[in-house]
Amino acid sequence: MEGPREKTTAQKSTETSKRVRLMVKDLAQKAHEARAKQEPIAYLFIASFYDDILRAMDIVTVGTENYAGLCAAKMVAEPFLAKAESEGYPRNLCTYATCGLGFDAMRRDLGGAMPPNAPDGGMEQPTVMLGTGMMICDPRYKWYQAAQRYTGAPLHVLGLLNPSHYYTHADFREFRDYYIRYVMEELRGLVEFLEQRTGRRMNWDRLSEVVDLSEKTIKVWHDTYQLRKAVPAPMPTEDALSAMVPGYFMMGTQLAYDFYRELYDEIKYRVDHKIGTITDEKYRLLWALSLPPWYGLVIFNYFESRGAVFPIEMVYHPPPPPQIPDAVTDPIERMAWRFYDAMTQRYEKARNHTGDPWVEWFLELIEDYKLDGVVFHQAMTCRTIHTGQLHQMNILKKHTDKPVLLLEGDIVDVRNYNEEATHKRIDFFIEILEQYKARHAQ
Amino acid sequence: MSAGMAKVEEVFRDRSKRARELQAEGKKVIGCLCTFAPVEFITAAGLVPYRMAGSMRKPAELVEHHLETIACSFTRSVLDLGLAGDYSFLDGFVIPHSCDNIVKLYGIWAQTVKHEYGHFVNVPHTTSKASLEFFEAELNVFRKSLERYIGREITDEDLHRSIALHNRQRALVRQLYEFRKEDPPMISGAQVTRIIGAITSLPVAEGNELLESLMPEVREGRYVNKKGKAPRLMIYGTGNDDVPFVEMVEQVGARVVVDDLCHGTRAYWFDVGTAGNPVAAIAKSYLEKINCPRTYRQSPGTHQEDLENRFGYLYQFAQDFKVDGIILYVIMYCDTHAFDAPDIVEYLKSKRVPVLYLEEQYQTSATGRLKTRVQAFLETIA
Repeated sequence: MEGPREKTTAQKSTETSKRVRLMVKDLAQKAHEARAKQEPIAYLFIASFYDDILRAMDIVTVGTENYAGLCAAKMVAEPFLAKAESEGYPRNLCTYATCGLGFDAMRRDLGGAMPPNAPDGGMEQPTVMLGTGMMICDPRYKWYQAAQRYTGAPLHVLGLLNPSHYYTHADFREFRDYYIRYVMEELRGLVEFLEQRTGRRMNWDRLSEVVDLSEKTIKVWHDTYQLRKAVPAPMPTEDALSAMVPGYFMMGTQLAYDFYRELYDEIKYRVDHKIGTITDEKYRLLWALSLPPWYGLVIFNYFESRGAVFPIEMVYHPPPPPQIPDAVTDPIERMAWRFYDAMTQRYEKARNHTGDPWVEWFLELIEDYKLDGVVFHQAMTCRTIHTGQLHQMNILKKHTDKPVLLLEGDIVDVRNYNEEATHKRIDFFIEILEQYKARHAQ
Repeated sequence: MSAGMAKVEEVFRDRSKRARELQAEGKKVIGCLCTFAPVEFITAAGLVPYRMAGSMRKPAELVEHHLETIACSFTRSVLDLGLAGDYSFLDGFVIPHSCDNIVKLYGIWAQTVKHEYGHFVNVPHTTSKASLEFFEAELNVFRKSLERYIGREITDEDLHRSIALHNRQRALVRQLYEFRKEDPPMISGAQVTRIIGAITSLPVAEGNELLESLMPEVREGRYVNKKGKAPRLMIYGTGNDDVPFVEMVEQVGARVVVDDLCHGTRAYWFDVGTAGNPVAAIAKSYLEKINCPRTYRQSPGTHQEDLENRFGYLYQFAQDFKVDGIILYVIMYCDTHAFDAPDIVEYLKSKRVPVLYLEEQYQTSATGRLKTRVQAFLETIA
């Protein structure tokens, strides 16, 4: 398939989110410095939600999915994907994973030196790799298990952080306690593993401070996104795809907190002064539960050229401010409650309504953010998020008549993307939106 | 064909027939997917566990509107059958957290193929002490859920009796596999696939009776294919519950003598402990003894030691069944198996076991496409 020819990244609207690229470079630099000083480095997945532990132990993290996304945005992922294929990993596997595996394989082949053209100086060899089971997707433990052949780094897989999204048949009172207990035990197991493998000791008081800071950060991040309900849209999805970096890769740091405070102030100013993403906002759309095409985020600007803006998205969203009982003061227990609460909040509602917590969220966002339509992106190599979209659409259609568009592509592999066909689909969708709005205006 | 095998053929040809007869007698039948569905609870509840299967021969059509083509084609096939009404006879269904594909299927199945009972069993991917405790708690919730459904308590004695029956079935299947160690094997791979397809559609006691009736027939050599020397193969892979692939491999001149498949040794090469708390015993066995790439076991040491820990049992199978080569047959979009494939290939090559890696859709037409590659593999190991 044909890929985008020129610009791949999107033009952003907010000044604060434009700073994120520099923060990403700083994260890479920290890893290079840690390597030079022979300090521990951990490979870590996005949304592991236990970053607090690593911050409290001063362990530098490398977000491997983030790095694959960066390679895609820089259009340099292909050699890594090809290397992974030559190593025997099928092309249809998660391309975050195959990009990372290809990179690790090349670095091993080069005796530890970075592959040529590696963005931001490359991913440093990890001291440990931290996966998760039963959370989000299978590659979150299978990828690092496979990567051991290249990194030789010990792997720790943490059992579970949240209940399945399909648990809505059950009464939460039956299982809440043992879920929270399990997460706590697993988090303590993680601390033990890190202490053994990195030589760092956990400072529990420090962890309490970090957890406090994380909770404060989540709150201000969440409040900022509430401001995005405004018309015209003050901050679009392409900005959020950058603005999520401090929350998902720097949680528990003062930098992350300060970033969202600053973002809050900027968005508030834009709302108060009615500064929108585009001057003539005709259509407000929801970027559905879909990972974006990192090699082609310019697609959001294409929508905007047609008068459509994405005020909100269902991916890389801040977790809701946690509802933790006052009596819970142990930082590990607070973390466990935070995950549980975040992942179960719409279950009761779903049990009594659509049967699907994701669809409940779709409906809430459509209402709260005054949206006119929904856009899905099917990333061909990610089964976890991108299978079940048809089902979500089917349920959604029972509860709303908003137009829905399904785009096809991938997260990293531009070979799965056709820009021209995508533009045609968008053009056609805009016509449908126009008709929809005209119909409803009558 | 003797009585036992004739019965297998009859049951396999119309797998749901006996379940429907039992329903007419007032029994309830519960569909189960994957080896991780803890069938012992269903039997203990006086219900009939019925292993749901796909069909390689039926093109998936209805599923197009419900589950994307990037989902594993076995899962899609099962859902397609469900949507077509092939599983409408079931009173309920139980789906475990095996992998992303199966998890996704639960949510869709619950809303599109409706039954009066449904349950999702969350199975940890790791085997830590906390994971075992969690899984035990999760199984107790499943037990309570079944108790509500049947309106009575499931006692520990019920569970112990059920465990004994299912352990008996596992032992009988292992006994059946012993006959495959002979040269030539006393039963073919395709026949074993049919036998397992048949017994997993029957109440466990009836399945055991069927297996017991088969044993003398196999022992007497009634099913030995004496047509000369042929390479002995093992098939490793995923939800290969249908016969076309195994049949093709055997038709092109090989003998499939052992497997590591969800519908093969994976479900039968372990026993559930019979002493103490039955729920804890089931949790421990399912988590620690089923070899599936969806379960991660912490494996300290070097990469080579890790490979040995993870795949040593495959080499043991190869030795015990005097295998000449192994086919890794991974259904496309099965991520857990695909991530392991390069490690398995590396391990088997280090043991000098010839290996062929195939990745294809769960369809008869795909089997046709693979024929040439299997033939070429057989030539290289001849």
